[in-house]
Amino acid sequence: MITGFPVQAAPAETRNATSSVYIAPTLEAALDALSEYGAAGSAFAGGTWIMRSPIRHEPLRAHYVAIGKIAELGAVRIGSDVVEIGSAVTHATLAAALADLPEFGVLAAAAARSANPAIRAMATIGGNLATLDFAAADCVPALLCLDAEIEVAGRDGRERMKLEHFLEIRPTLAPGRLVTQIVVPRSERKTAHVRLPLRKAGDYPVAIVSLSASVDAAGRVRAARIAVGSVEPVARRWERLEAALIGRRLDAEGAARTATELANEFVGRDGVDAPAWYRVSVLPGLVRRAAAAALGA
Amino acid sequence: MGLSLTVNGDRLASAADPTTPLVDILREELHLTGAKPVCREGFCGACMVLIDGKPTPSCLMPAALADGCEIHTVEGLTTHGQLNRIQSALEASDAVQCGMCFPGMVVSLTHLLTTRPDATREDIRAALTGNICRCTGYERIVDATLLALATK
Amino acid sequence: MSDVSATMDFRRRDAADKLRGRTRYTVDRYLPGMLHAAVLRAGVPSGRIVRLDTSRAARMPGVRAIVTAADAPGMMGIGIADHPLFARDVIRYDGEPLAAVAAGTLAQAQAALAAIDVEIEPLPAVITMADALASDAPLVHPNWRDYEVLLEGGARKGNVAWEATVVRGNVDAAFARADVEIIESSFRVGRQNHVAFEPRAVVASYEDGRFHIETSTQVPWGIRNATARLLGVPPSQVRVTVPPVGGGFGLKFDLAIEPFAALLARASGRPVRLVNSREEEMLTCLFRENADVRIRSAVTRQGDIVGREAVVLMDCGAYGGEQIFLTTMTAHTLGGNYRLGSVRLVSRALYTNTAPNGAFRCCNGVYNTFALERHTDEIAARIGMDPLLFRRRNVLGDKDLGATGQVFEADVLSPMLERMDTLRDAAAPRPARTDGRLYGRATTVGTWFVFVGPSAATVNMNADGTATLVTSGVEIGSGSMMQGLPQIVASTVGIPPESVVVRAADTDAAGYDVGVGGGRTTVSLGAASLSAAQEVRAKLLKVASEMIEAAPEDLVMRHGRVEIAGAPGSGRTVAEVATYAQAKHGPVSGTGAFTGTGVPAMPGCVAGHFIDAIDMPVFAVHDCEVAVDPETGHVEVLNYRVVQDVGRALNPRAIHGQIQGGVVQGLGYALHEEVTMGSNGRVCQSGFETYRVPLALDVVPVEISLYEGAPSMGPLGTKGAGEVPILNVGAAIACAVANATGKRIQELPLTPPRVLELLLDRKRDLTLPHIAEAWADNLVRPHKTPQGNA
Repeated sequence: MITGFPVQAAPAETRNATSSVYIAPTLEAALDALSEYGAAGSAFAGGTWIMRSPIRHEPLRAHYVAIGKIAELGAVRIGSDVVEIGSAVTHATLAAALADLPEFGVLAAAAARSANPAIRAMATIGGNLATLDFAAADCVPALLCLDAEIEVAGRDGRERMKLEHFLEIRPTLAPGRLVTQIVVPRSERKTAHVRLPLRKAGDYPVAIVSLSASVDAAGRVRAARIAVGSVEPVARRWERLEAALIGRRLDAEGAARTATELANEFVGRDGVDAPAWYRVSVLPGLVRRAAAAALGA
Repeated sequence: MGLSLTVNGDRLASAADPTTPLVDILREELHLTGAKPVCREGFCGACMVLIDGKPTPSCLMPAALADGCEIHTVEGLTTHGQLNRIQSALEASDAVQCGMCFPGMVVSLTHLLTTRPDATREDIRAALTGNICRCTGYERIVDATLLALATK
Repeated sequence: MSDVSATMDFRRRDAADKLRGRTRYTVDRYLPGMLHAAVLRAGVPSGRIVRLDTSRAARMPGVRAIVTAADAPGMMGIGIADHPLFARDVIRYDGEPLAAVAAGTLAQAQAALAAIDVEIEPLPAVITMADALASDAPLVHPNWRDYEVLLEGGARKGNVAWEATVVRGNVDAAFARADVEIIESSFRVGRQNHVAFEPRAVVASYEDGRFHIETSTQVPWGIRNATARLLGVPPSQVRVTVPPVGGGFGLKFDLAIEPFAALLARASGRPVRLVNSREEEMLTCLFRENADVRIRSAVTRQGDIVGREAVVLMDCGAYGGEQIFLTTMTAHTLGGNYRLGSVRLVSRALYTNTAPNGAFRCCNGVYNTFALERHTDEIAARIGMDPLLFRRRNVLGDKDLGATGQVFEADVLSPMLERMDTLRDAAAPRPARTDGRLYGRATTVGTWFVFVGPSAATVNMNADGTATLVTSGVEIGSGSMMQGLPQIVASTVGIPPESVVVRAADTDAAGYDVGVGGGRTTVSLGAASLSAAQEVRAKLLKVASEMIEAAPEDLVMRHGRVEIAGAPGSGRTVAEVATYAQAKHGPVSGTGAFTGTGVPAMPGCVAGHFIDAIDMPVFAVHDCEVAVDPETGHVEVLNYRVVQDVGRALNPRAIHGQIQGGVVQGLGYALHEEVTMGSNGRVCQSGFETYRVPLALDVVPVEISLYEGAPSMGPLGTKGAGEVPILNVGAAIACAVANATGKRIQELPLTPPRVLELLLDRKRDLTLPHIAEAWADNLVRPHKTPQGNA
């Protein structure tokens, strides 16, 4: 026997229980609140994911801690060695802050072209990183290819870790812990972010290739980082492709050929938007476009 | 805990749940039904309002975070009932059909007119990627925007 | 004179308030004391209701009324009454209503739904049309024989809800000829969601023993009659009024949620608001139906189509609905466009355990035109003829016979094709193509029709020189009620269109009307309005002739005056004449009525058809150029041109707006908008993230040429112009992509994955094993062909 259930989403105004929203004035206050709420609480940054919980038939948490008013989380600090990005920085703010730094082209492009203009002005980079089920997040592969580090804080202190490691521990991140900033090293490099939405704009991409490479005077690749997003449930680096490019001249066709040989290492995710095979099939073409764009940058 | 919202210059109190989407307060408590909750996902733009001057889908804005902000809805964009520049251009261009998307279109485009006076056709189309229209096929809206930009 | 003055780019009067956010659509209506309603829907595609207990829910906070199947005894349908308001004992689709609740707040209503105790025993389901036709398929309606038949003539059996056939001439003989090539093509299309921005919404009250339903509909009289039928009350007890409608596109051409609100209003004694959530709209909208089409033609090497046969399977979902009627249309869409020596067609509406489908702009025509035009290109390729030349040679012209044997008047498609050649030739040549993409182009033709039918209008001439037009017409966005109709009335009585007040639809105030759809507003409501205005005109002229002392035939009405012809400024103002008439004879008014005359088919040609032939054909020629990315499968439309038969363009600018919008909706159908069905019978695309309609960056400006002068029985020579622009978009895009890629395009939409699948040869040719090889084996009842038509 099956119990009947309504198919319609409970509209947002019809929640069973009241949720509280605490607007934290400082990071310390936010961490205290998150710690107290434990599993019943969550940080609230741009809200573009949380506010759609009813659409996904997910209950809201009992408590939210809004972090948008915390000054240190809302700033982009451009230093000589690193750029530090507060986790509550919006996509629009980030894109504007990085506009004059060619070495961050990949991240600026990720931030400037995701979703649509109004969403970019709300959605934060921290939210992009912290949302578990959002495979199509643009900033994650962009930051992977920039070798970013993530700072996570709790009431008992802060720790910094590679983004790769953060993505591994993300599903089991303890309640009360908050991504506070993203630290990205500066260096001479050519970068590109190629995203493939199904319409020209306004979609989540079905596949993303983010590329960063440094080349020597002869045009040979000294170091390369390539990250693939949206193809698998979690973005990851394409290390075999990176290795294959080292020491060679960066050329778009060659990179695409190598990508074709190596693409079978990806197990695509099937989605309502696109089948698994499609996400993998388009990768070599996206690699070529990324290499060409990086060379042009 | 009550909320205090400043909407179209008026200070208003609301007892709504803090995570209530702003669009529901505007429509159901304040009877400002211009903003339409069409998708509740931030994709369609029909519920767009200006929050501290920025176009924002009011379906994704919890009431608690709108507290203390300057909110302008489409109803607040006319002065003395006169259509503003983009509204006039859209009217003159016979751009409107069913009209459900236009409150949001008008909010987005009013912002564009003040912030992007040199916008090209492509800029306008890119700026409208978060405003869906099911009736018009967009072109006339883009034409009207160019007309409004040319009408200083 | 009055005729000429009707043409203008008159602006719509509702634009300013729509732009200010002041317009109150049904979703914006909040009445004092109003309750909020919600509907409990089934979560399985097929099942038996073991228990449905509302007693616990009735005690929940704020709950004022709960209604179930026991409250709605009637059954509705088109052709056959197969559809109850609530599932009774049997659940036939995921999302089928089980109960409805009204409470003080929506949250309370939702909470009460969760407190309704339901037990459902799942039953085997048929999800696809192939499932439905399997020899051992469970029946969606085991008791189909017991239903009341509302129109005789359609063949029915088991999961075949309705079958309509056309047979003209000897197709077997044509296919047996030695000098022909036999070309066979198969096609499949998915569903399309209207995505009307205003969801289905209603506010109902129960006053003085009658229901008052304010609703977002295209068919006020249809809602009145169907609600009465379901509730088992006389239709006169239902009054329907219609605020501005936030998008229809055919979605609101059928009853939706109105009876729930009506029942709850009667039960609670309070006004009740019910609005579908977007998810309900996405999952249970009356989609454009998915369809499977097989078409075969016998064509001589010179390019004459001597025989054609086709089988069209249309998925009606769990209940027959519009698809029953739409089986009629195949004759005029798939059987349209071209001269055929002989033809036989069968369209079968099939029951499945999925959400019911419905009407959508150019229903049936959109996919049948896709199938027909792709098939036409395959014919041209087989016989080695240029596809455009093949079309020029074969399009319907003056005195040609349509599929059902009706005789077409005048050459329309030929000169339209020539007009398209001129447009295409005038375009600037495109720069060299060196970006690695595949380029292609296509020109396609389409045949559609205006769905004429009964309409009524009253024009009240006011003493201040304005006129009030009272009809049951609804403004759904197309502008017909805001532009075309006031223009027709104004030009007839010589006043500016601004001076014509248009009464919003109210079934208590205006006479019967079929509804706004099928391109009929300007034609049917327009003809009734013209006739009413002419009566007013005649009365005013008679009175004016007394006042001015001139013969009525020497008078003209223009610029707000009744003047002696040739003497501008003479005579009196219309207001003076109306005032005088009101005082002397009483207020001046006129009434008008209209309905289609009914063009006959050839005797014996059709079976199971709701109309024999089309009163008012409408033609369209579309042309486009596309670029296909071989790495991603993305199709970019580079340019798009339309030559559309409009009869006469009363408001050319408004028609251009309809064409741009209709083409873009067609681009969505052709390229982006995909509906897939899970094995649980539930639509997978539940919101705007996954159901992708075109955005501003996805469209092109459409180059438009209005073709005027084709024969039309419409008022002042008009035809409906708002429906047809979507007709051959799927066809044009598919033919252009096939031309670009050299691949056989058999399915829509051409999403990037689907195109890449073709380019990579990952996809096998589409086969439709559930369509029998021999045409006649697809029929549940043989088409009886009278002598002389064999």
